[in-house]
Amino acid sequence: MKNVIAFIEHKKGAPRRVALEAATHARTLADQLGGKAHAVVVGPGAGAAAEILKKYPLDQIHVSEDDRFLDAAVDTLETVAKAAGPSLVLVGNTMIGRDVGSRFAARLDCGITADVTDFSVTGGTVGCVSPKLGGLVITTCQLTGADHGVAAIRPNVFAAKETPGAAEIVSLPSSGKASTLTVEDEVEEAAAELGVEEASVVVSGGRGMGGPGPFTTILKDLADAFGGAVGASRAAVDAGWIPHGHQVGQTGKTISPQLYIAVGISGAIQHKVGMRTSETIVAINKDASAPISEFADLLVVGDAFAIVPELANLVRDAKAAHA
Amino acid sequence: MEALWGSPPKGRLFPTRRREPGFVRPEVCALKILVTVKLVPDTNADKRIDPATKRLVRTGVETVLNPFDEYAIEAALQLKEKLADGSTVTVISMTPASGKEIVRKALAMGADDAVMLSDDALAGSDLWGTAVALSAAIAKQQADLVITGTQSTDASTGDLPGMLAEKLGLPGLTNARSLEIADGRVRVQRETETGYMTISAPLPALVSVTKSANEPRYPSLKGIMGAKKKEIVQLAVADLGLTVAVGTDGAKAKLVDLATPPVRGKGKVVTVSDGAEGAKVIVDFLKERKFL
Repeated sequence: MKNVIAFIEHKKGAPRRVALEAATHARTLADQLGGKAHAVVVGPGAGAAAEILKKYPLDQIHVSEDDRFLDAAVDTLETVAKAAGPSLVLVGNTMIGRDVGSRFAARLDCGITADVTDFSVTGGTVGCVSPKLGGLVITTCQLTGADHGVAAIRPNVFAAKETPGAAEIVSLPSSGKASTLTVEDEVEEAAAELGVEEASVVVSGGRGMGGPGPFTTILKDLADAFGGAVGASRAAVDAGWIPHGHQVGQTGKTISPQLYIAVGISGAIQHKVGMRTSETIVAINKDASAPISEFADLLVVGDAFAIVPELANLVRDAKAAHA
Repeated sequence: MEALWGSPPKGRLFPTRRREPGFVRPEVCALKILVTVKLVPDTNADKRIDPATKRLVRTGVETVLNPFDEYAIEAALQLKEKLADGSTVTVISMTPASGKEIVRKALAMGADDAVMLSDDALAGSDLWGTAVALSAAIAKQQADLVITGTQSTDASTGDLPGMLAEKLGLPGLTNARSLEIADGRVRVQRETETGYMTISAPLPALVSVTKSANEPRYPSLKGIMGAKKKEIVQLAVADLGLTVAVGTDGAKAKLVDLATPPVRGKGKVVTVSDGAEGAKVIVDFLKERKFL
């Protein structure tokens, strides 16, 4: 494969951060492969998203306003990939990215690798590096060179960087095909916030929080001070204290933030595998012998309910001093 | 009642019974619900890799039913109970023959029968090979509704539901936190980052259900006893009529390296007497690491 196609997930024209990471890294990979860097952006608002993408180092931005949910994205990627020849499609390892990437791979009979954190290019072959078994092993899978391939990149691992470019915008007509899925309505239940997968700082609470309250008060406040997201252990999610979209661990999400703060979380293996690839781990726990003491970079033994609010204030002060 | 069967998309892999000559859909028709299940290493075991062989050390690590699949089984059973029209639940698994006991757990929860696709030729299949083989096995079952979990706890790719839907030529309603059947359509609430979308499609269809869909039941003693008598149909690759190679040789994403990440060592442990002191210890540490 020579070319790289970044699939741009966006909400009403605002690209997700991981989509910009894909757009930036598409250039790097295309240069290594000696091909072109493309982006595909589909759905209502695609035109507006394309304007934002112009600031990224792409050769061509393919735009379709086709509004069929998922179907339009897969069809458009298929059209662009077939015209470009064997291509590596980059999607975000998100709910939408997985749906689009997996359907593309099945339709075009090509390899797909999930949760990719690094690439190695040798000749025309792309190796995709991804942690498996909750980070216990790091696998490298090579995508066959003659076919297309799909890599779902882990959010927050690759850099998104604006560079002056001169990407050409190519408008694609809607396919006119019928939709396989009927979207009847869309309901917003919570204010749009950064998910644990994409946040660079995650503040998680566990059983030690004792109830749902802290997740919307002191933990949320600390996460906000960092501009991060609130996560949770399985114990907290199973107790119904916070929706499972926040769960970090083997039956939740596997994340790699720059900073992970575990509050009142013992650090059982179930949880550890979801966050052990965090760059820095800080734990607050009243038990000095909790399993998390074995792998946290810093464990503060004390009362989380007293420490967390003080910490939020100090973080805000430190940030204000820099601003 | 509107016709349940539309005309199937051309060139797809789903030769359902609607194509049989003379098939007339009765007014009330029980659904055949198919649930895909996978076997995974126990999520609670501390797994490790043998540095010499680069394989998972299996000693002391039990194989269990993928926890995400329990939600799929529960969703199927609840649907069957709600419809109460003779609808059936069949579990299907691509697994080594040794996985029979795990398949029995799904039967013990209340599934009616099972299909196992077991063949040495499937070893080393990548996602594409798995999708090709499993979709061919699913197509043979002529199901009305295929229910899957969202991902497995070992590979954790979350890609199989979409791939199966595409290979089967079925509408893929993924990440559903609820599902209902009405007027020949399946309607789900698809989870989004900030809420949900209501999505529907005509049957036959594929639905993947999330952890918030339900609370999986434990097998009852009666269920466990009854499971021993339930039928498990065995399929091999030769039964699927595949025209492409699967397994290690056919893989389109080939595993070329397996490494163990550096071990994260024990860090600093500081016991503090009050909130202010604890906060200061953390802030100093974060400044040292250039976070602040």
